[in-house]
Amino acid sequence: MTEDLSREIFGNLGETSKVIFYALAFVSSGVFAWGVWRRVKLWRRGRPDNECIDWKEAFQNLRTRALAQRSLHGARPKASFAHRMLFWGFLALFIGTILVGIEHYGSALAGRESTEPLFHKGVYFIIYEITLDTFGLLMIGGAMWFAFRRMRRDSSIEHRTADWLVLSSIIVLGVTGYLIEGLRIIREDTAMPGISYVGYGCSKLFSSAGVNQANVSSIHFGLWWFHSVIAFGFIAALPFCRLAHAIAAVFSLAYSPRPLGRMEPVTMEEVEETGEVGVGRLEQFTQRDLLRLDACVSCGRCEDMCPAHEAGKPLSPRDLVQDLRKLMETSSPSSLHGETIGSETLWACTTCNACNDICPLGVRPADYITDMRRHLIGEGELRGAPAASLQKMQRAGNPWGLPEQDRLTWAEGLNIFTVQDNPDFDVLYWVGCSAAYDPRTMKVARAVAQLLQHADVNFAVLGPEERCSGESARRMGDEFLFQELAATNIETFTRHNVKKIVTHCPHCLNSLRQDYPQFDGHYEVVHHTQFLGELVAAGKLKAAAASDETVTYHDPCYLARVNGITEAPRTLLPNSLKEMPRHSCQTACCGAGGGRMWFDDPATERTGSGRITEALNTGSKTVAVSCPFCLTMMTDGITAKDATVKVCDIAELMMNENAESWDNSDP
Amino acid sequence: MKILVPCKRVPDPDQKLRLNADATDIDGSAVTYILNPFDAIAVEEALRIRETAHPEAEIIAVSIAPAEGETDLRTALAMGADRALLIEHEGQIDPWNVARILAAVIHQEKPALILMGKQAVDDDANQVGQFLAAQLGWPQATFVSKIEFTTDGLRIHRETDIGIEIIHVTLPAVVTADLRLNEPRYASLPSILKAKKKPTEHSTPAKLGIKPEPRIRLLGMELIDSQRTCEKVTTATDLLDRLRESEVIE
Repeated sequence: MTEDLSREIFGNLGETSKVIFYALAFVSSGVFAWGVWRRVKLWRRGRPDNECIDWKEAFQNLRTRALAQRSLHGARPKASFAHRMLFWGFLALFIGTILVGIEHYGSALAGRESTEPLFHKGVYFIIYEITLDTFGLLMIGGAMWFAFRRMRRDSSIEHRTADWLVLSSIIVLGVTGYLIEGLRIIREDTAMPGISYVGYGCSKLFSSAGVNQANVSSIHFGLWWFHSVIAFGFIAALPFCRLAHAIAAVFSLAYSPRPLGRMEPVTMEEVEETGEVGVGRLEQFTQRDLLRLDACVSCGRCEDMCPAHEAGKPLSPRDLVQDLRKLMETSSPSSLHGETIGSETLWACTTCNACNDICPLGVRPADYITDMRRHLIGEGELRGAPAASLQKMQRAGNPWGLPEQDRLTWAEGLNIFTVQDNPDFDVLYWVGCSAAYDPRTMKVARAVAQLLQHADVNFAVLGPEERCSGESARRMGDEFLFQELAATNIETFTRHNVKKIVTHCPHCLNSLRQDYPQFDGHYEVVHHTQFLGELVAAGKLKAAAASDETVTYHDPCYLARVNGITEAPRTLLPNSLKEMPRHSCQTACCGAGGGRMWFDDPATERTGSGRITEALNTGSKTVAVSCPFCLTMMTDGITAKDATVKVCDIAELMMNENAESWDNSDP
Repeated sequence: MKILVPCKRVPDPDQKLRLNADATDIDGSAVTYILNPFDAIAVEEALRIRETAHPEAEIIAVSIAPAEGETDLRTALAMGADRALLIEHEGQIDPWNVARILAAVIHQEKPALILMGKQAVDDDANQVGQFLAAQLGWPQATFVSKIEFTTDGLRIHRETDIGIEIIHVTLPAVVTADLRLNEPRYASLPSILKAKKKPTEHSTPAKLGIKPEPRIRLLGMELIDSQRTCEKVTTATDLLDRLRESEVIE
């Protein structure tokens, strides 16, 4: 019985209508293609980049982020849900239309009548109708949700008049689709109309309004054309409105975004050739950077996550990307700097990577910022304390400018071996500038070193031979200062045959892991929490003691979000750990990354003050950290709020537990 | 308009200094040098004048130093000075004779404005600007925190112990920069490399017709032990006792 089930394609439409239909389809696709080409031409103004597409990763990105619409960290759950409804609904109807097309041309090629379908019949037809009627509802529901949000003038999203046209087109297309279906059911007297349940409902309404087989044809004809014209208009308008993000996003996701925390090197030859460093003009971005500007739909998830924005700094990653996108549309883009993007905006970024991480479509706002910072550094547009830090790194190899002979002050009385004293070390303890020169961080290094000693680890330190890793210099845009420091350190590592490095600084860790291999420095680099975690697992050390007093743990951006190290620190913390709302890979920045450590901000205006409140709100007596910068920012922030909460590195918490037993066991 | 900026190289104040064997000078072998921070402020101000009031201005950085002092002049060039002049001279030289050498340079170059640091952070003499103005017979404005161009000269803010003094000087003039005049820009490595292409002229006091006649003779130097120790006291009485013991108070 189901064999007869089908519907006539182009039913109720004469040959003239078909000719006009195909003419319109041709025009509409032409306009669509021209619109896409216009964008492609804009993207091609950028520098070509030589990376090849990694097809496996491209496919995976498209599958998870586009097709599966996988939500990232549960950001904006309602909007994400509405988007899924709209996207999946739209996609199903799009595929459905293509299937109808295949059926139509297939049967035409097979020389069949339009009433004798190839496959658009029977059980297939039942599934098809039920599915499409359902997904149509999803699409309309999603679009209505977005329309409702726009009606409320929600300030978290950007409003353009054209958005109304987009949303109303989608809704009208969906609704008229059902109405036409209803009219078709009356006209063709389709068998089993209940499978097209929404359309069937519409047909009932039409019938009760007096529509019958005698008068249905003209109404069907009129509405069918109305629907078709809007559909063609919609296709033509797609590359010109906000929906263009869907096209750019396919490219953006296919060209896999760089791993978090990785930067592209610049060579001195390039600089000598062009006389410029970094991005001062739009054309100096790569083609991928430019196409990603079009992938930005201005949803604002990055802005929600941005710690600088939270602190009221003049930076919104979304606005930055949108400003760049608007500039790309102007015929002769002038300088990016100054009017388009203020230097205050660029310096506000902590490179915490939250925006890079959250963007569902692979846009990397922080990468634009670091590229543009390189230009500012090249132009000498950095003043005051941060500029002095760079000068000091340059002349003394550390941001405080202090003598290299003082690098072992922290180790006084501890019998620490340098690579000279113990050339056959297994692991190098990279101390970093903070522990070498900041009296507070020295205590962290003392704790780490004592734990390593008591666990009989054969380690050594570089002492006066160590130089700043250059991490913050690189993220501030001073690429060549970084390269100089990295080259010096790599030479030192080679001289001392360094294979494995342990460090308590996540910034040094990320630089040694992701920056140094670009300059042929390949080492196994672990964080002290990972290394100590292994020693605890091996029974050589104890984790921090169980305690009644609650402890909260602040994940450093470069440890958790960028390098994914979230479990190791937690295995070392006491069981009274109370998590902050934003933790693990979704941590919130303390405010010191990206060179912000060297900027002089009044305590009340510091990025990260919201994070201090969050930590205090846990009611914990101790805030555990695992980064020297976080240690400084947390301590200063808590002091500024007159709170009496201790801030300790995890190694220091472990010392409390372990030192006691050493006292007992070695009298 | 020509702006001449005398630049002194000074030992990096963050590093530890050592004395030479006979304690007559600091041990130069272990020292890293930097451009005197007050002179960097003067360079920055010259650049700002060129960026705003006088785009045609030519900025000349001058230093009196041994041949290797060219490195520190390059910082001024990297910041944006147009050319540099190094008057090669080994050993110490007192402020009066520095002023004489600079005056000789100025007679050749004929700048309209001398912008320099109020003092160098090594010997903190704070004399060259004043001597130079006297030798040239030019107006001087010292400890300057703001410079504005007027139709017939400069309107200047001077930082004094009792507040800001606003004066007017005619050009040519000698102006010495105080800390708050500006924040100097950062010269990154590519700009330092680019600066290598800018012209640096070498000269000597003799070529300028100057034979230094020292008015000050350095008798000796002594390092001060700057090691600080910390001690925790529990009560205010303890603190008073400790201060009395160490003869800080009576």
